[in-house]
Amino acid sequence: MTPLLIAQIGLTLFVFVMLLNSAAIMVYVERKVAARLQQRLGPTLAGPRGMLQPLADIVKLMFKEELRPAASDWLLFSLAPIISATCAFAAFAVVPFGGSTTLFGLVPDGLPLQVADVNVAVLVIFAIASMGVYGIVLAGWSSNSKYSLLGALRSSAQMISYELSYGMALASVLVIANSLSLTDVVNRQAGAWLGVIPRWYVFLQPIGFLIFMTAGIAETNRAPFDFPEAEQELVAGYHTEYSSMRFAMFFMAEYINMVTVSAVAADLYLGGWHGPLLPESLGWVWFLIKIAAILFFYVWMRWTLPRYRYDQLMAFGWKVLLPLSVVNLIATSAAVLYFGL
Amino acid sequence: MTAETVLFYVFAAVAVVASMLVIAQRNPIHSVLLLIASFGALSGLYVLLEAPFVAVIQIIVYAGAIMVLFLFVVMLLNAPHEETGHDLAVHPLLRPGPLRVGGVLAAALVVELVWALTAHGGESGAFPSGAVSSVAAIGRSLFRDYSFQFEVTSVLILVAMVGAVVLASRGPTGRAR
Repeated sequence: MTPLLIAQIGLTLFVFVMLLNSAAIMVYVERKVAARLQQRLGPTLAGPRGMLQPLADIVKLMFKEELRPAASDWLLFSLAPIISATCAFAAFAVVPFGGSTTLFGLVPDGLPLQVADVNVAVLVIFAIASMGVYGIVLAGWSSNSKYSLLGALRSSAQMISYELSYGMALASVLVIANSLSLTDVVNRQAGAWLGVIPRWYVFLQPIGFLIFMTAGIAETNRAPFDFPEAEQELVAGYHTEYSSMRFAMFFMAEYINMVTVSAVAADLYLGGWHGPLLPESLGWVWFLIKIAAILFFYVWMRWTLPRYRYDQLMAFGWKVLLPLSVVNLIATSAAVLYFGL
Repeated sequence: MTAETVLFYVFAAVAVVASMLVIAQRNPIHSVLLLIASFGALSGLYVLLEAPFVAVIQIIVYAGAIMVLFLFVVMLLNAPHEETGHDLAVHPLLRPGPLRVGGVLAAALVVELVWALTAHGGESGAFPSGAVSSVAAIGRSLFRDYSFQFEVTSVLILVAMVGAVVLASRGPTGRAR
């Protein structure tokens, strides 16, 4: 085994563990930020400032009884949370989160900070995201409960409506970057205009960025677009019948999907690991800062905006977001052709 | 055997077995899921052919399309099981009507396959590697060399879509036609 291979296996494990951790951290951050936005304190008892609360939650979930409705389709019922969690982890595999590192000289060839460097990375993320919805839909259908089924149907309808705008926003960036590889897209954003403004695509694609973030919220089923699990209408939506660790897998998948969408947004629009002040080797710090900012934005949105009505969501997706993203794509392509970016 | 050969046989077996199981299911939802498994295995085969772009497009297009199929099954058929009562005793494929139609179609398929394999010497056309893996190359041949065929196909799909909407649309009273 070469040092590079060992380093790559180590990196894969590292990313896996970090994604698990990020879900736990996000649970804590979500509860703390929500509490502050509502002028409460949030968790304070478990550990310093309540930081061990996620750990307590996990222990609680592990010791809960595993329930399964008698009339459910047992195979699909067990499979659904696994599909959700697997897709959530798999999507991050193609996300680069830093330039290459030599690990203090241990790997002379340089180790790219990315689990798998696929030259169609953007499409892979898109494909895995569309597979992940099957976890939700199957959960809803196999539970054999009306609330679960309604949640699942909403989820699939929502996915079909928002994936189009999501894809169009992605395509606009790819047209500018002239590549489908996320590493290439990030590296095209290095440097600065006039020495001050970073060459981030968010400045070239402000509308695309807004479309991407909006569709990203819909894709991750977060409020104000959390129709698949709208508590007031559907008890808990697609995971109504789930308990214990099976529920935990859906819960974890939701947070990991948020992290992935934020990481992709940081890579596509905010220059990835490029940023001023820090040296190139510390690029991952910039990346973490950007992800944290986007994640905070998501939490902030959730606790600020009330849920839309379902017909408003559909009308917004098809009548506003989709035409806007198509116009954006056409305008971007025309500009690239004309100015030869 | 190299790892690639092993993977080829694994993917090929999954694709064939899943495709056969698709038509052997009573429950349409299970059929739909097996179809996804089959397409996933095909996508794996594309990766082995060093065509990652085609592999990913396979997942995106078919996963999306099957999601619509799933919705149709759940919302329009409105029945998890195809038949009830005495029909349950006989598997759908073994009933006289489907057996005859299926038999004719299967015979036609066998004839076509034999003809297709013998007429061209049974050799698969060799692709220059890289021609199918480069997105730019695919785009160029699709929108330049084959642009007419591409546009005709899109009109065909549009016609099919309008037809489906007309057939499935509900009038102002809310009843299906």
